[in-house]
This record gives sequence, structure tokens and C-alpha cells, in this order.
Amino acid sequence: MTIDYNELKKGGFLKQKQKDKYIVRFRSLAGNLSSDQLRALADLADKYGQNYVHVTTRQGMEIPFVAITDYNDMKTEIKDLGLNTGTCGPRIRTVVACPGNEVCGQGLMNTREMALHLDEAFFGRDVPMKTKIGISGCPNSCAKPQENDIGLLGVIEPVLQEDLCIGCGICQKVCPNKAITMVDGKPILDESRCLYEGNCIASCPVDAWLEQRRGYQVYAGGKIGRKPRLGQVVAEFIPEDQVIDYVEMVLKVFEVLGTQGERIADTLSRVGPEAFRQEMEAQRKNG
Amino acid sequence: MANNINANSNLDITADVCPITFVKVKLKLEQMKQGEVLEVILNDGEPIQNVPRSVKGEGHKILAVESVGSKYKLLIERGE
Repeated sequence: MTIDYNELKKGGFLKQKQKDKYIVRFRSLAGNLSSDQLRALADLADKYGQNYVHVTTRQGMEIPFVAITDYNDMKTEIKDLGLNTGTCGPRIRTVVACPGNEVCGQGLMNTREMALHLDEAFFGRDVPMKTKIGISGCPNSCAKPQENDIGLLGVIEPVLQEDLCIGCGICQKVCPNKAITMVDGKPILDESRCLYEGNCIASCPVDAWLEQRRGYQVYAGGKIGRKPRLGQVVAEFIPEDQVIDYVEMVLKVFEVLGTQGERIADTLSRVGPEAFRQEMEAQRKNG
Repeated sequence: MANNINANSNLDITADVCPITFVKVKLKLEQMKQGEVLEVILNDGEPIQNVPRSVKGEGHKILAVESVGSKYKLLIERGE
């Protein structure tokens, strides 16, 4: 059989070291796999692989040692079983996500739902270079958005209703970055030190600290690999209904400013965050 | 402000680790009547970071917090 390796990679079949053997990559959606999907993966690993799956760092599963002659059968079974393949090569990859505020007490945003939207809008799209997207619901950053080409981080901005404050000082104590100082029985916020995680709001016994706004910070340019770089904020407090637009914007800016062979991190390093943000603004005005 | 309030009950959780700290506070509060005040002594670090917001999440009210040496004293009013 003639093998189109590019098609195989796109569909999540990765040639492994051993001759004619492939690693089949599956993805989770918003980091979740149903128990039926897990059972199906186990069955496939037994039928086509070597009775194990590899759990990937991007919330995926891989079944190694699949024979190329089983490719067509396996593809059909994968579809029938309701599993989702991952991808490889110059495409947008699996969106990694934390559980979010649906189940996590510290979550500020519903990242599960947003991850599903992102997966639907972006997964598998052909792009100049592999592009990874990660989303976390709060600055604890469990899904590490700052390590991804495009990252989303849930944030909340506090505002003080001074007349409600009882001067208990809890906010000063729970702030992780010493952004709040009690002065004459009232809290003073140094916003340059604020990490937007909202401990003050959560802990205030009288709700004197309130939410001013919440949304997502958009990060661009994270990557690990041989030259790790952390993503940088290119847009702030983006509401849920604009997240998809902003991710499109980052991709567009990368298309405009990037050169061949660059990851977003390289483009950002080369042109600088200011130029990147400026192009984002230009795209926003056009869009 | 803490000086004006008399506690109905006391709890010292400085020997406990999270989440037992919060669990003990929660259980103690459950045994009290609405409006009664519990005085809790707790350590710096994880306890003071976690107990107030957890207690708030349960519907109780922190009336005051005071540092006492290397520890903290919380006055909590039992909610509904």
C-alpha cells in the first residue's frame, strides 16, 4: 500500500521507531474522557496495540505498536467508538484545559465549556507551524497556558467598597503578592502587584472587596522544547464571548508578522511584544 | 474591634493540618446556634490562607482577625 505520511500524521498516526509500527494519538475534550471512551481505548490497546496506553502531557492518550496494515480497520473502529484522534505536524493541536469553575473552588471561569468551543473552532486547522493552545481558569495556571503558543488565563479584578469594610485585615493576609496593605484600618491596593486571582474577594467576610470585572488574559508565544520561552500577555480581561475572536487575532498577527519556520515565540522575540500588540490592535480594528 | 466581642466557644487548631483545620472549624460551628461567636486560634501559612474563605463559603461571617504572636485569632459568627 502507498502511504501518505502527511495524511497519517494529520489523522494522529505517528510512525514509531519500529518498522511499520505506528503510535495512534487520541485527544481528550477539555481534558476529559468518558468512562466509555476509556474502556474503548483499553479495548483498542488490547486488540491493536500492546495492552497499554501512554498518557501524554497534553491530556491525550497514545496506543503504540499498531501495525500499518490495521490502519483502515482501526480508523473505522475509532469512529464507531466515539473516540477523537489527536494530530501531529503543522496543525493546531489538542487544547489543554483545567477543570475550571464547574468543579474547582478556585476557578474563575468555565474552562471546560470554553475548551470545547476552542477545540471546535481550532483543533486540526492547518497552520504554518504546530500551534498549541492551553486554558486555565485562574492564576494557579494548572493547565499551564503560559507554556503554549496561545494561552488563556482566567482572571478577576477587585474593587473596594470602602464603606462596607470592617478593617479585619484578612485581605492583606490572604493576598499572595502583598498587593494589599492595611493603612489606618483600611486596605490600600497596589494594582501593579495584583495577580488577579481574587483571594481578597473570596475571603472578605463582608463583601467589601468585590469583582470589578473578570475574563481571560490572552498569552502568546509560549513553548518548551529545546529553547523554552514563557508566553506574554497580549490582551487583558477578554470576555468569554470574545475569546475565539482574540485567538483568531493572534493567529492572524502570527501570519502577518511571522517568517518561515518560526513559532509564535520566535516572532514575539524578534518583533517584541509592543509590535505584536500593535498588530493585534490593527487586526481588532479591521475585524 | 476584636476586643469588644465575647466568644461563646473557643477552638485551637494550631496542631492541625489543612484540611482538618477547616473541617474542625466547620463541625464546631455546626454545633453552635446562629449568631453565636466562635474564637479560633490558627497558624500562619496555609490555615490563615484557607480557613477564612472556606468559612465564608459555608455562610458564616468573620468578624475580626488579629495576629497574636506568630499565630492568628479569628472571630467567626455562626451563620444560618
